[in-house]
Amino acid sequence: MAMRFLLFAQVKDAVGAAGLDLQISGSPDAAELWRTLIAAEPKLAAFQSSTRLARNGEYADAKTIFSDNDEVALIPPVSGG
Amino acid sequence: MKIEIQITSAPITAPKLTEEFSGSAGAVAEFSGNVRDLENGQKISALEYDAYSPMAENQMRQILESLAEKHPCLVVRVIHRIGVIPVGETAIYVGIIGKHRGEAFALLAEFMNRLKQDVPIWKIGARLCAEHQPQHSKNLQGSSNILRAAAGSSTTAALSSLDEAITTISAHCQPLPGVRVNFSEAAGRVLSETVCATEDFPACERSTRDGFAILRDDISETFSIMDTLHAADWKPRQLKLGEAVRVATGASLPCENLRVVMQENVERTGDSIEIVRRDESLNIRQRGEEMRVGTMVLATGAKLNAGALALLATIGHTQPLVNPKLRVLHLTTGDEIISPDQKPQPGQIRDSNSILIRTLLEQFQCDVIQKHLPEDFDEAKRTIETFNLQPSTFNLLLVSGGASVGDKDFTHPLLEWLGFEIIFNRVNIRPGAPLIFGVAGPRVAFGLPGNPLSHFVVFHFAVATALALLSGGTAPKFLRGKLASKLDDASCPRETLWPAQAEGGALQPLPWASSGDVTCLAMTNTLLRVPANCASLAAGAEIDFLPADF
Repeated sequence: MAMRFLLFAQVKDAVGAAGLDLQISGSPDAAELWRTLIAAEPKLAAFQSSTRLARNGEYADAKTIFSDNDEVALIPPVSGG
Repeated sequence: MKIEIQITSAPITAPKLTEEFSGSAGAVAEFSGNVRDLENGQKISALEYDAYSPMAENQMRQILESLAEKHPCLVVRVIHRIGVIPVGETAIYVGIIGKHRGEAFALLAEFMNRLKQDVPIWKIGARLCAEHQPQHSKNLQGSSNILRAAAGSSTTAALSSLDEAITTISAHCQPLPGVRVNFSEAAGRVLSETVCATEDFPACERSTRDGFAILRDDISETFSIMDTLHAADWKPRQLKLGEAVRVATGASLPCENLRVVMQENVERTGDSIEIVRRDESLNIRQRGEEMRVGTMVLATGAKLNAGALALLATIGHTQPLVNPKLRVLHLTTGDEIISPDQKPQPGQIRDSNSILIRTLLEQFQCDVIQKHLPEDFDEAKRTIETFNLQPSTFNLLLVSGGASVGDKDFTHPLLEWLGFEIIFNRVNIRPGAPLIFGVAGPRVAFGLPGNPLSHFVVFHFAVATALALLSGGTAPKFLRGKLASKLDDASCPRETLWPAQAEGGALQPLPWASSGDVTCLAMTNTLLRVPANCASLAAGAEIDFLPADF
């Protein structure tokens, strides 16, 4: 199944796109999603330690399980206000 | 607690909390977070924000709901602006109505802290500040002007728009400290100080007519002529009723409270006159009418043209502080280039860029050194060392040719070898796209694309901007005018600076075939700014243009 990832700020600039569509199998957790992301776009490795994943508008944690209907976003350190 | 959250790209204009809590609301706390003019130590004119809006709203709401348990309030309104936000304008507004100030302040402070940790909103770029913003920076909303602050970004932006290139150049060109020169050598220089009048001008009342000075309220019919005053005379005397003094235009009046009756309005008989027509005008230039002592007459940045120098002479300011003459090193490259007084062999061309650049630079009062470099990079470096062309002794370095990416195009490595950091190496414009811009401290360098028309175009929007700003003046501005005839373009995906002739207020586009077109260049005194992807423009269409007539 294909999953859509939304990219913002530094991550968006590094990849050069606002979104990525990647093939995902099963019910991955955050660690598995990162492996898939970095395999497809090696530049993302540099952002893994500072970037959080969000699932449907909520920050994900290590136990979060993702499915193909989710909207997944990569949230680099924020700087609003 | 009522919560209102808005993420918008529209300006935030003084939102007012107008809720009906007048009885119970003891505190209204409002906070506006504004864009400051410094970001990471650099002067900026705007910031650009982006947001993952649905999640950002969701996060803000959750934060506020959890904080409301600790600090219960009545109403919270949050507005976060995104997109390009100019300095001084509000990026975030938070308004809170509470029963007491304690909860309102606590909620406000904690919310702002949490926002900066968890709400997915980002500053994604800063617009560097040009001290003298070009006039056409009006399209502030265009994100193309924003210098992206990408993580781990290289300093070399691959492709700049015209606006972005001008803004970037402006940000790196600071005025040099002024020097005092005799005003007779100051023509064309830029003033580095504010000049004020040191005395009233005129220093006394003067007549603006040939005629007769009488007391202002004297209604006598005939007057005795007591004296005659010429322009250079200074003969104070108190006039009495029935007395007149013959005065010439420009003559200093003998006392105050006079009027001058034009000689056409009197009939003279010997030493007396009779006024035959009276009018209201005093025909007097008052003391200090043009300038009072202490008033500023010329501001920093004023170009000392003929009129300004006449003004300096008038007030006796003969040693003005002006910009120093800029020292420019112009290096030309290319083995196919021969001197204009030689006959070219097949494959050779005469050097037209040297005289072109020298002539353009002389309009800016620059001291120019020109040197031709061999095409081999190592030999070129040796030439620079041999002739001791220390770039640190020049304010501006220009390198002609070699700006593309061919084997022999060594401008980029040459500039780096000379200690310049490359800021951009291409501009999305024609002609003149392969323009390189580098900086080394207060010094700037340009790698100019090889042919004369590209040189001309790049000089007027890029080099002239740097020269003007290093001199403390204002950058050349695009003006608005009308096309004299239809302009047919081949719908270029890049913006074009199109050669044209301005005559009698209308702009006549000139035909040009390639960026090497010098016959067209000889007639060009204006560059038209033709938008990208513009197939044609009708006669009479309005268009931005850059004067290029020096």
